[in-house]
Amino acid sequence: MRSTKTVNRRNLTRWNGILIGGFFTFLIILNTAPLLWGTLTSLKSEADLFRFPPTLFNFTPTMENYQRVFDSGFSYSLAISLIYSAITVVMVLLLGVPAAYAFDRFNFPGRRPLFLLVVASIPLSLGAAALLIPNYIYFLRLGLTNQYFTLPLIYTAHQLPMAIWIIKGTIEGIPRELDEAAVADGAGHFMILRMIILPLILPALGAAGVMAFVGSWNEFVASTVMVDAPELRPVQPAIYNFIGYFGREWGPLSAAAIMGVVPILIVFMLLGRLIVSGLTKGSVKG
Amino acid sequence: MTSRSTGLLYIVPAFSALALVLFSPVFYGFWFSLHRIRYGTASEFIGLGNYTQLLSDPGMAATFGRTAIHTAVSVALTVAISLAIALWVHRLPPNRGSIVQMIVIIPWITSTVVATLLFKWVFISDIGMAMSILRMFGLPDLQLLSDPNSAMGLLIAVSVWKRLGYALIILLAGLKSIPEDYEEAASLDGAGPWDIFRLIILPLLKTPLLLIVIVLTLSNINTVESPLVLTGGGPGSATRILAIDVFDRAFVNYDLGSATSLALIMFLGNVLLVLAYVRLSKWKV
Amino acid sequence: MSKIKATGLALCAALSVTLLSPAVVMADTVRMWTFLNPAGTSPREVALAQIIKDFESANPDIDIVVEPQVWDQMTPKFLAAHGNRSAPDIIWVVTDFLGDAIQSGSLADLNELFINKWSEEKKADFKDAYWNLTSVQGKQYGLFASRNYIALMYRPDLFANAGIKPEDIKTWDDLKAVAQKLTVKDSGNKVTRYGFSAAYSEQQADPHPVIPHILASGEPLFTTEGKANFASDAGVKGMQFFTGMVKDGISPSQAATWTVDDLFEQFASDRIAMVQGSAVRVSTLQGKLGKDKVALMSWPGAVAGKPSPSVMAGWSVGIWSGSKVKASAAKFMDFMMSDPGDKIWTAVGGQIPGKKSTLKELENFISQPGNGYLAVAARGAAEAGWLTPIDFSVGGYRQALNRATQQIIVDGKDVKAALKEAEEHFNRQNGR
Repeated sequence: MRSTKTVNRRNLTRWNGILIGGFFTFLIILNTAPLLWGTLTSLKSEADLFRFPPTLFNFTPTMENYQRVFDSGFSYSLAISLIYSAITVVMVLLLGVPAAYAFDRFNFPGRRPLFLLVVASIPLSLGAAALLIPNYIYFLRLGLTNQYFTLPLIYTAHQLPMAIWIIKGTIEGIPRELDEAAVADGAGHFMILRMIILPLILPALGAAGVMAFVGSWNEFVASTVMVDAPELRPVQPAIYNFIGYFGREWGPLSAAAIMGVVPILIVFMLLGRLIVSGLTKGSVKG
Repeated sequence: MTSRSTGLLYIVPAFSALALVLFSPVFYGFWFSLHRIRYGTASEFIGLGNYTQLLSDPGMAATFGRTAIHTAVSVALTVAISLAIALWVHRLPPNRGSIVQMIVIIPWITSTVVATLLFKWVFISDIGMAMSILRMFGLPDLQLLSDPNSAMGLLIAVSVWKRLGYALIILLAGLKSIPEDYEEAASLDGAGPWDIFRLIILPLLKTPLLLIVIVLTLSNINTVESPLVLTGGGPGSATRILAIDVFDRAFVNYDLGSATSLALIMFLGNVLLVLAYVRLSKWKV
Repeated sequence: MSKIKATGLALCAALSVTLLSPAVVMADTVRMWTFLNPAGTSPREVALAQIIKDFESANPDIDIVVEPQVWDQMTPKFLAAHGNRSAPDIIWVVTDFLGDAIQSGSLADLNELFINKWSEEKKADFKDAYWNLTSVQGKQYGLFASRNYIALMYRPDLFANAGIKPEDIKTWDDLKAVAQKLTVKDSGNKVTRYGFSAAYSEQQADPHPVIPHILASGEPLFTTEGKANFASDAGVKGMQFFTGMVKDGISPSQAATWTVDDLFEQFASDRIAMVQGSAVRVSTLQGKLGKDKVALMSWPGAVAGKPSPSVMAGWSVGIWSGSKVKASAAKFMDFMMSDPGDKIWTAVGGQIPGKKSTLKELENFISQPGNGYLAVAARGAAEAGWLTPIDFSVGGYRQALNRATQQIIVDGKDVKAALKEAEEHFNRQNGR
């Protein structure tokens, strides 16, 4: 296998190489420059923030912005978000795996329309700001706002459709003969799910889990509207608090944003490698 | 082995959550939109009054048009570029591949408003880094946001930039699921890289491609944060897309009746688009 | 695995304990929605935290819980919550939505709750345009916690370098001449600093600087039925004034898509010498640039010696009509808005005082270098201020005027036609 790859690489003409190199350099600049600028900004004092022409390194770095962010209770928001996101990942997988299994392996009335309903609910899960007020009233009437379970519940529903789709795609790739052999050995369908399917889709669960984690970590609209108590507020509203009515406070804003990115980067360093190195074989089946 | 209702039992928990959080608010929203909305609450029943008022707005057709252009171009570019990067990363050794992957996903994992604000500051603002460098070389300032066409171009570019990482992750996962011996066998049969891509990889990537096309389309239509931060709909109305229009109706004019109606029309459009994609791709559930 | 489970359970338990404990306390809990986070570190947030701390130590039986909100969604969300009987006890309402909030019956009469107990002198101490706005048919629906006086912000240091005194700007023509003088070009004839600008994006729009022009002419901005009246002669002339400065290169054309925040960042970067700016921003900008580099003055007039009215806006604080703890909420509001709150807001938060006596008592503080803006705004509010009417909803008027400006600057649209279209747009959006 390695040999074909090296052959392919050698086949690339020099121009291709230059093209790819050039494009990738461009991409690196586009993607990292804002983040690097954000990091530099987070280390600047108020007086250095808006110098013209902009200054790259010619300033005395300070940690005061990070201090300010932590003084305003940011570590608590980080912890809450971590708990919310973890609960969401667990719930999404607990609910998503049986559903995906059923959609692929069972034939029940309304299977196809119900699955299309799942797919069609993706736009709802993008949290359209437009339906905010009616949604808020609906949740208010049911008494579901401002509870410790409010946001995990909403995030779970938001992330479920995509997870069901990803997991179902993987189960499709598992030969049905395996199920049948197990049936011959007297296994029930729950047994099949646990003993045969589950071990084979672990990498897909990783991919779906990462998606759910990123999605709930970055969710903003529901987080600001559906809960009011400060102790229930996750990290995104805490970041946006620095874009206030009286102006953007770039120092603490960038410090908070940088700290908001770090946990996801860590999650990706741990799980993202699985995706690239092929361990997620079949997580999205073609 | 399967009784016809067992399958239903397995999907009940997931569907309860979806019904409670996603489906029923739509029905509630629809009921809400059939009323005159005063001070944020439904008062008298006016049937389709909010909808007819919406359709009588002379700017509506142009807003739909701009939304269609913005969405179509953004999705096409994102899919094309992410597919190219995915094919390239797929061939890289895992170490280098994961570095590339990390770099591409940075904009996706950063909170949208902050990412867009930073992008604007560094690359577009005339007090930013990019314009300072241009000036250092004696080049004229680029005022990308002051021209209707370049403003729309920029909005599309930022959309692609922001969502490339998501598309890449899904496509990579799909690529890795293609058994390696398929490609090997084909190249032994003398198929060139283009043929392998067209005849083997593309058909096998159908599901992930469909997934990203759907998600990208819907998120381009529905997300409001980056257009608000970048252009606010201007200059003139050059970048006024549906999402901004709904947001303004709801939170600037505080006209929740027409905002909710328009949001529901958009939602219906989203669902129809999903069904159209599924049908066109002859995708079997 | 079991260890992970145990940790998870412990975390959940800890979480639920923290969440449930406030409910167990016997004290009256007063919920307040504002966009300020008392745990935050900006001057206003520090002021609010201090007020709450002082109040709670004086009133141990009352617990003030601030639930910070995103400012632009706060009022709509409050009204929706009011319609469903579960709003917070104290609410901050932005001026543009004040009419809706009052007419919906969501706000309680503060006279009944605590103002009637005040002496006449104390009431007189408060009475100004803001007071009158929230006083409807003998009932007082709010007191202003944040007074936004939107006028001409400038850089005293750049003025001094160019030998210009603020008093030199008496008329709009003077303003243009000064802006011309302060515009700086480099060797390549590229502008490095513009004389004047406002921000014309529809996002986060401040009221357009053409409004002082219109009001100074005696023309109202809205007819009595609430229809827009932008395209009057004064409106056209005013709009020509601002877009003309763009054509002449003393105002930047990029401002067509600048938000207010963009504008202040440009101002902070020495790229613009004068901007349309609000008093509430002065202290923040002084934090960046230094106290001696940011100041505020009234708008010039059509003729010398008669400043044009400035637009005032701000946040009115009220008590929810459905609150179950009105007495406690009233007690806190009295404390926060009057004594000793007003002084804390001014001295710690850099806010424009609500009481005339605070202005006098803090005379020393206000006469310190850099604090002059407080006096300019307070005097302006009493003499030449304009508040958006509350008899009808005016949502979207800022955006309509800004969009007209963009069309003139970018598409070269005729000024009168653009203003006419803005009128139609506003009227249609508001169903008039």
